[in-house]
Amino acid sequence: MLETILPVLLLAALVLMAIGAVRRVQLWRQGRAAPVPILKGLMAMPRRYLVDLHHVVERDKYIAHTHVATAGSFVLAALLAIVVHLFGFDNPVLAWALVAASAVMFLGSLLVARRRINPPPRLSKGPWMRLPKSLMAFSLGFLIVSLPATGVLPANLGSIVLALVLCAVVVWGLGEMFFGMTWGGPMKHAFAGALHLAFHRRPERFSAGRGGEHRSTGLKALDLNDSNTPLGVGQPADFTWNQLLGFDACVQCGRCEAACPAFAAGQPLNPKKLIQDMVVGMAGGSDARYAGSPYPGKPVGEHSGSAHGPIVGVQEKALVDADTLWSCTTCRACVEECPMMIEHVDAIVDMRRFLTLERGSTPDKGAVVLDNLIATDNPGGYDPDSRLYWAADLELPLMSDRGRAEVLLWLGDGVFDMRNQRTLRALVKVLRAGGVDFAVLGNEERDSGDVARRLGDEATFRSLAERNIATLARYRFDHIVTCDPHSFHVLKNEYDAYGGHYAVYHHSGFIDRLIESGRLQLDSRQRGSVTYHDPCYLGRYNGEYEAPRRVLKALGVELTEMARSGYRSRCCGGGGGAPITDVPGKQRIPDMRMQDVERTGADLVAVGCPQCTAMLEGVVDAGAEVRDLAELVADALATDAAPANGSAATSDSQSSRRHTEEVTS
Amino acid sequence: MSDLDLSSAVRRDPRREWILRNRLHPEHAALAATGAASPAEWLGPNGVTRRDPRAVGFIGPNGIRRIDRSGAQHGAGATPGARAAAADNRQRIEIDDPAFVIAVVPDLPGGRLSSHDRDLLGLARRLADADPTAPGAVVAITFGEHRESDFGGAGVDRLLSLSGERFSGYAPEARLAALGSVEQELTPRHWLLPDSTLGGGELGRRLAARLGERPATGVWQLETAADSDSGWRCTARGAAGSSDIVRPLPRMVLALAECAEPVSDTLHAARPLEAAHSLPEGLARIEDLGEIAIDPAEVALAEAEFVLSAGNGIRDWDGYHDAARTLGAAEGASRVAVDNGFMPRNRQVGATGTWVSARVYIAVGISGAVQHLQGIERCDKVIAINLDPNCDMVKRADLAVIGDAEAILATLAERVAAWRAEQETRHVA
Amino acid sequence: MSPEHAPLRSGPRVAVLVSVGRHPVTGRPRRADQDARAVELALGLEQADTRLLHAGRHDDDSDSALRGYLGMGFDSLELIEQNADADVVPALVEALRTQSPRLVLTGAHAETGEGSGMLPWLLAEALGWPVVGGLAAIEKIERDTATLLQALPRGRRRRLRVRLPFVATVDQSAAPARQSAFGPARRGGFEAVAKESRADELQAVWQVAPARKRPARLKVVKSGSARDRFKAAAAKSGGGGGKVLEDATPDQGAEAIMALLREEGVLR
Repeated sequence: MLETILPVLLLAALVLMAIGAVRRVQLWRQGRAAPVPILKGLMAMPRRYLVDLHHVVERDKYIAHTHVATAGSFVLAALLAIVVHLFGFDNPVLAWALVAASAVMFLGSLLVARRRINPPPRLSKGPWMRLPKSLMAFSLGFLIVSLPATGVLPANLGSIVLALVLCAVVVWGLGEMFFGMTWGGPMKHAFAGALHLAFHRRPERFSAGRGGEHRSTGLKALDLNDSNTPLGVGQPADFTWNQLLGFDACVQCGRCEAACPAFAAGQPLNPKKLIQDMVVGMAGGSDARYAGSPYPGKPVGEHSGSAHGPIVGVQEKALVDADTLWSCTTCRACVEECPMMIEHVDAIVDMRRFLTLERGSTPDKGAVVLDNLIATDNPGGYDPDSRLYWAADLELPLMSDRGRAEVLLWLGDGVFDMRNQRTLRALVKVLRAGGVDFAVLGNEERDSGDVARRLGDEATFRSLAERNIATLARYRFDHIVTCDPHSFHVLKNEYDAYGGHYAVYHHSGFIDRLIESGRLQLDSRQRGSVTYHDPCYLGRYNGEYEAPRRVLKALGVELTEMARSGYRSRCCGGGGGAPITDVPGKQRIPDMRMQDVERTGADLVAVGCPQCTAMLEGVVDAGAEVRDLAELVADALATDAAPANGSAATSDSQSSRRHTEEVTS
Repeated sequence: MSDLDLSSAVRRDPRREWILRNRLHPEHAALAATGAASPAEWLGPNGVTRRDPRAVGFIGPNGIRRIDRSGAQHGAGATPGARAAAADNRQRIEIDDPAFVIAVVPDLPGGRLSSHDRDLLGLARRLADADPTAPGAVVAITFGEHRESDFGGAGVDRLLSLSGERFSGYAPEARLAALGSVEQELTPRHWLLPDSTLGGGELGRRLAARLGERPATGVWQLETAADSDSGWRCTARGAAGSSDIVRPLPRMVLALAECAEPVSDTLHAARPLEAAHSLPEGLARIEDLGEIAIDPAEVALAEAEFVLSAGNGIRDWDGYHDAARTLGAAEGASRVAVDNGFMPRNRQVGATGTWVSARVYIAVGISGAVQHLQGIERCDKVIAINLDPNCDMVKRADLAVIGDAEAILATLAERVAAWRAEQETRHVA
Repeated sequence: MSPEHAPLRSGPRVAVLVSVGRHPVTGRPRRADQDARAVELALGLEQADTRLLHAGRHDDDSDSALRGYLGMGFDSLELIEQNADADVVPALVEALRTQSPRLVLTGAHAETGEGSGMLPWLLAEALGWPVVGGLAAIEKIERDTATLLQALPRGRRRRLRVRLPFVATVDQSAAPARQSAFGPARRGGFEAVAKESRADELQAVWQVAPARKRPARLKVVKSGSARDRFKAAAAKSGGGGGKVLEDATPDQGAEAIMALLREEGVLR
């Protein structure tokens, strides 16, 4: 009896799956067109899955093994089941393989089940709690129904009752694994995830086996010239179709939630919920069926939307609230952790673009900051001709006088901030001690556009970027050095789209090179216990984790690492305009980060970012001192630091030594 | 000092002279203050005039004796009484038959001449007195009741007091109509009004529009100019204070504070002037429904001119709110106080909160983070009350009081309340 | 309700006169702050049919500044093209006569040119309408009258009832203007209104220069004695390092603060 029912069941499941797939594709196609190399993507997909995705999954060994066992054997079992039971290939080898695959899958599903016994809060419940059982149903069902084909069991065994029970188990398994895959069950992640990997909007993220950086973190430019392109994303259908596809790939593992600083601070953001809300919006409906942690302070079930409805309501509630979108610090911790390679930050900035460019509703100080950037080219509204007031005594060489220099020192908006001026002074001292031929743009420099862009004001970003690029084009330099990771990132990765291609160094990397090449003599004596805070825009955005640590090591520092460091570093709360939009939470992100610092017992935290410095120094009664790398290096300069190269000791280096003394304070 | 016989010039008191010579003597100051007690000049026993060089003059700030031949000086400096006497010496000026009239409409906030009004009257005097052979008369026009008694001292020759219920409160139309009839009666050579936000700035523009005169607004400087019809040239602020316009002085002038030196040496008649005709009754299209009660603590921070800001050092928040109410100050807060939930976000002062431009900013228990200090850059006077004498706020402050913030705040509130009560009674009197 | 999707308004017709502003630090063209606040006030009126009106030259600078107003949520702005040296009052009076709004709002001063702040008063005089200065809020508009709040110094407010139609000026005490959004600013259009441009001849003889810093007034002591005058001139001026009272009793501290408060005149 089973032999007749099974093919019918399989066929029915496959047909339903196909119908579901078409429907799902239709949902994605509500999004805007995006140029994607379809074939190339599909070809690259297995490698992207096996190498890049697995690289992320592997950070959790337990789930990595579980997933290999379950998913690998499921794919095999499903294919074999179709061959054996649908097409009726009566080959004992195939049957044995099917049995084996089902068995391995069953073992895997036991592991999945174990994870679900006391699941960590980041995991979604609801349908996800039945997944291990469904996996067992599928694997066990096919294990048993395939045994007769191997000849171990007689073809017609047991009673009708047993057959019916077995049938029911197989239907359950097929329902979850085939039907559910395209009709929105937990297994949707496999279908959507595979295609998401193939048609990812940032193919540069994936390794091609040729080595290289394979990192893509710069925001995508918004086409402002084409008046048909919506200004950002106001409704789910404004996303590109492959972004919608990406949202559908989410497995709700909640790694993003666990990494999100805003979520931890009790601000109303949970990256996982946000992605699920986008799925809800794409398909239409309410978020009532969401079974994971809500946005802190916002109960589930109050929001709903549709593909062509607003994402953020003007007065009424829609899919998400604006403060959810403005809570993000754009630290990319969620993207870094996401095993499905979903681009949360892109989506958030896309939606912010709509709020700023179409609605004009950048919250809190945001509007003022943007107005300042438009009117004065800096977020504080300071006179742009006063950019060098802090350095009146330093006689910084100006690019407009020199025309060319080895290094263009990009000062950033920290020139207006008294705290950052100390860092800049230290950096100038270090560069002079290293005999570096540098010059600054002075009043010709403008804000890099980082904050404007992350507040969604693409128009102001573009204006700043184009004018900065035009200024830079007038001068000749080998590379740009900056102590601001935000400027660093924007100059390095986001000016590309506007024709600005530069070799950019963060000061930690540049100082590292100076030390390595022996141009800096450091007095490396023992220091107190020090920890290092990785700035998001240096670390996760640009993969620079080692240079700052090498510099600290050269200073004789014994580094005590925080629990969250490197690619898992926790944001200081200063990125993405978060201090400007200032969404209230239960605690402040910098306070949490300072607690991380204090837990190491370090009495000094080294940083490499003006934002981080400002945020961490803003912590009241902090247990550790906050100092920029440049300051630490400047303090450790050997007192008779002469340029290492004797032949270079011209009058120029003489003057640099004099300046070195002047800066010392 | 009753043992001294001052009537006899020849009798000497060696002890007294010794005390007067000895600046370190505890009684020195008291004796020296009596001044005449130490005769600097007397007739000697043989009829020769004797002078004591040590008895004349006074000890200068650097310990050197200075001799002032004007005779006004005494060792301890002029007493308030002496100053009052000097004020009475102002030259009295009566202009009986003025060659022309300069009309001034002072704001009289609170019924008294403001310093802006006095500056404006100073400007009016310059215009009136330019030709000493044909001086003009400065006519001040006041509306409603006033409490000013020194119009003459401020340079007013004639005082036209227009009183009546219809001028009270916000009554621009009635005032405008009255000024219109003054124009017909006196035909002033110039109309001068203070360019203040409400008051002269508004009334002046109304009048200019009504009379069809093109006024010079934001005037802050006046010079004679032969090539100008009026004989004067003025400098006026234009383009929201970003430019200076030098132009011939027109008939109608709206001047800024400190446009001229106020009158101080002369005392004018301030002779009351009666309006010859009855004032026109107009239809009031603007009705004043009265001021509405606004809690000073609720005044928008950016608008407030007096801010009491609280930080981490405050424990007794009720006491703080009470003090703010008593002082009549807007409430502000440091970021920490806001983060800790003691104050709402819209009260946060600083670069990340609201930039304030108060006249007086009191920071209680705020140590002064850089962002906070940036946010109060534009404040005139900063007062810090703090336990830590080394914190940045104390360094920034114009006045810093080190001590228990809450006790000081409570005492201050008490004193202000007492002072208020005293003012009330004086007003009633 | 977002203004861009607003249905036809049934409420009073409001005209807001807007000008080209100038940033105080960089001088770049922008929305004039007070005019933008006037627009904000108008946008706060429920159901009001608000139109923007500008008289002046139309060039690149004014275009970007005027689009700033459109970005607050308007489809169009009526533009009366005038020469750079024009006196715009006659043209505006004509335009307002044709438009016959119930309410005209505008900033108290322009940020460029003479900036005398005369325009609203001249318009009201020419139209024969009442005019109110320092408008902070509009409480309600009825058939013939409106109830307004007028801003007094230090955040105080006075309630006024005014007959319609009227002109009101808006200054810094009104609520700050909303953000200008790029999208509506880019899409919005200008409706050109042709009006004769009459030159302002008086201005031709003026000399205009960037504002000089006004000298701080010296405390002149009109005392007869040289010593007093010398002491006053040589006295340390207000600034410099602050006074620090350490180990003071609360009484002494309060006394010192009180003295400063009274000196500054903030106690009332």
